[in-house]
Amino acid sequence: MKGPICKVYLSQDCTFFTRKEILRLFDRYRDLAPQLVPLDYTGKPAVTLPYELIGSMPELKDNPFRQRIAEVFSENGDGNMTLDDFLDMFSVLSEMAPRDLKAYYAFKIYDFNNDDYICKSDLEKTVNKLTRNELTPEEVNLVCDKVIYEADVDNDGKLSLEDFQHMIIRAPDFLSPYRSSPFSDTVSG
Amino acid sequence: MSYHYNEAFENPDYHFSETLEIDRRRSSQKNLFPHQSPYDSSLHVSSGEHSGRGQNYPLAVRMASMRHGSEYSRDLPRVNVLSRSPYGKSTDNLSFEPEPELALSLPSTSHLLDRPDTRGISAVSEEEKLVGDLASMSTSERIKAIQKMPENMKKKREIRNKVLKEITEKSRRGRAQLSCCTQWLQGPALSFRRFGNSLAEYFHLLRLWHGTLKIIGAEFGTSVLSYFIFLKWLLTFNLFSFLINFGFITIPQFFAAEPNNVSFTGLELFTGAGYFQQTVLYYGFYTNATISKIKNGPSYNMQLAYIFTVGIYFAICFLILLLSMAKSFCRNFINPQTYSGNAIRLLCTWDFNITNEKAVKLKQKNLSTQIKEDLMEVNREVLNLSVRERLVRIVIHLVSWAASLGTAVAACAGVYFLSINNAKLFVNWHKNDLESQAATLLLPIVTSLLNTFIPLFYSWLGHLERFQTPGYQIYVTITRIIGTAVCASWGPPEFDIGRNVLELIYVQTLTWIGILFSPLLPGIQMISFSIVFYVKKVSLMMNCQPPRKAWRTAQMMTSFMFLLFFPSFVGVLSVIGVTVWRLKPSEECGPFRGLSSMYAAVSNWIKILEGYTASKWVVWIYSNLITSALFFFILSVLVLIITYLYWQIIEGRKTMAKLLRKQIINEGKDKIFLLEKLRVLQRVKQTPPVLREQGRQSPYSAGGSRGTGFPQAWSSGTGPGSSTSAAEALALALRAREAAQWEDEDYD
Repeated sequence: MKGPICKVYLSQDCTFFTRKEILRLFDRYRDLAPQLVPLDYTGKPAVTLPYELIGSMPELKDNPFRQRIAEVFSENGDGNMTLDDFLDMFSVLSEMAPRDLKAYYAFKIYDFNNDDYICKSDLEKTVNKLTRNELTPEEVNLVCDKVIYEADVDNDGKLSLEDFQHMIIRAPDFLSPYRSSPFSDTVSG
Repeated sequence: MSYHYNEAFENPDYHFSETLEIDRRRSSQKNLFPHQSPYDSSLHVSSGEHSGRGQNYPLAVRMASMRHGSEYSRDLPRVNVLSRSPYGKSTDNLSFEPEPELALSLPSTSHLLDRPDTRGISAVSEEEKLVGDLASMSTSERIKAIQKMPENMKKKREIRNKVLKEITEKSRRGRAQLSCCTQWLQGPALSFRRFGNSLAEYFHLLRLWHGTLKIIGAEFGTSVLSYFIFLKWLLTFNLFSFLINFGFITIPQFFAAEPNNVSFTGLELFTGAGYFQQTVLYYGFYTNATISKIKNGPSYNMQLAYIFTVGIYFAICFLILLLSMAKSFCRNFINPQTYSGNAIRLLCTWDFNITNEKAVKLKQKNLSTQIKEDLMEVNREVLNLSVRERLVRIVIHLVSWAASLGTAVAACAGVYFLSINNAKLFVNWHKNDLESQAATLLLPIVTSLLNTFIPLFYSWLGHLERFQTPGYQIYVTITRIIGTAVCASWGPPEFDIGRNVLELIYVQTLTWIGILFSPLLPGIQMISFSIVFYVKKVSLMMNCQPPRKAWRTAQMMTSFMFLLFFPSFVGVLSVIGVTVWRLKPSEECGPFRGLSSMYAAVSNWIKILEGYTASKWVVWIYSNLITSALFFFILSVLVLIITYLYWQIIEGRKTMAKLLRKQIINEGKDKIFLLEKLRVLQRVKQTPPVLREQGRQSPYSAGGSRGTGFPQAWSSGTGPGSSTSAAEALALALRAREAAQWEDEDYD
């Protein structure tokens, strides 16, 4: 199969995956929509899978942040992913990605309005997603206030990337070595 | 150097898409910094700084500050504020990034419309700089740097292709200078690297239980996972012990083995005695002779080998424990006071790994329960207990402590007397009939029963006391020689991490104590640990639910484990020390038969060595270093001095961190202040020229849009004055900063 192999060479060393793993991921991508995705990528087709297909993958379908994850990694920010975006997403979520890279993308995922800050509304949405809307609005408000009070270092009322990373460094539980992505079971079998 | 990449950069027709929404918005301002900042951080990594400590991608702030500026004034001069920190370099300043390219370009810009182009030019130069730097790195560093870039795939591929182009150009240019050796080596180097990659792939498969651990981590969280990781660590540790003892003690013994006359009955698997007594499993089997296979060939002194192997093994154990503890402490106790609250729990404990729908729902429920409880606790903090309630509490504490101490003492006394009686009953233990063998099991059975039931009693006591904070409860019950039991009394039980960890440590302590008399005990322990792993895993999956409360973070668990290891290790060392130095070894068997103590083997050997001049240095080391108290005294003093130094360094760094944090807050205030001024300036600019003319003619009129302290240059607007305005803005900012610092000093 020359097509995917060509693609593999193009992507190798840009992700944390080995050649075999990239090929396996390509197969997963293709399985989502065999009629849309060609086997041969030599022509560099601009194939985009819609978000609904990506969100239906078993690894993502129960994750409350699946839409944000897809949006962050997709080209246009609308959740529709090309093969590149797909590989990128798995690469960052895999266990080989360093903590800071993951923290960077985690920040982007939590930033719902894409303004490079996690402001109070972003936090509220995060809390609601994390707790399945089980908290009352007052409780959500209290929690968000407390989070901003604790984590905001430069006192501008919202969390910038630095504040977030500053907090992450001190949360050793975030991304310990075995908290690897279950996506790797798509790759390691 | 042939690269499969050749196909790529021959046809890099992946159009430069504007990647993410964020980038596209930024690219309207011709974003240039995304190339610079992640690269800076990756440079830091490759230059050997500790990765993961403050490696940052300060994209957002730079772009944000730029955007804020541009929001208000497309054509106003970009305010270029340098950090005034007395402590750090200006590049450490996070809220204001010195933007050298802009600074260079600004004064030269006389026309506002030129600015986008200037920025575009700087963008290109930034990328060229990045490509150039990447090209000069070594291959593996370059690959790592590209992998770490927080860009999407297309961008990375483009950059990689550019870098490769640059490299081939460079090599083409410098081919004459390139020595033939280096060229000749590049081919094998590449294939070696590929081989290493594929080897690493296969090693991945060898990782023990990797899949199982991931599943456990995903379903039950990291604190339960840490127990299993600890178990795996103990297994590898025992493997190492086994190999050492096997290699240095058992294998030579095989050359001098005596035949085994005892018949094998099934009971040996339980008692460990009988048939096994005459095998290498037991100390008694080992010879005290000097083994030599070949006549007048190299000889192997069994006595020395035995004692040295055991001694060095314990020294290595000590070092390993110390290093593991130091590593986990380093990781966890950087800043224990700062973030213990909701912020971390909320944003960091979300596990993007959890895939099981039930587990996700459960995790969400747990999170909401935790948050609710936290909020309730915040309200409950103000609760004041009445005097009577406090008294009742203290009484309950005292009673529980007395009960637990009493039980512990009673159990110890019981075991002691039982063992003495046992010993009386089995004076002639050579008699190998079934009854006496079975009766030797009495003591172990009694001890195990005590071990099972007393902890349950302790956890009941713990429940009785009902402490407020689980943290305090943990410390108390651990000191009572048992971990915290957070058993739910109804519903599926939770995995009791504390008790299980303590069991593991107990077992390992027993192994250590036994190692002196049964060198291959670690091998048996390995088998037992494997069985325990599978048993615990099955019971976990089938019976337990994920823990309600985050017991502690996983790595704090690891620290606790190692912390608990130390007392047990010290205990083991004392037992072994007493045995080796004081007790008279058995007369009839074992490698030390006939000596007055085990240690006498070493002292005898030294005496022999004194006779040879070639080994005088060994004797010197022995008499002046190992047996002299002065040496150890000096060593202890050195260790104390080093500890004190490190402690002072830590204190200094804490102070530094505090000051820097204050500085960040001040910079934030600066930013707000300057943005306000820029906003005002923008408004000034937008007022009709007539008004501005008037303003210019009456320079000292306090216009509404001109605040106090504005230098004249501001109001004269933009255009040719842009460079002076920038300088004025800088002066203004510096003045503001000084004023703020004076304010602070007054305040302090």
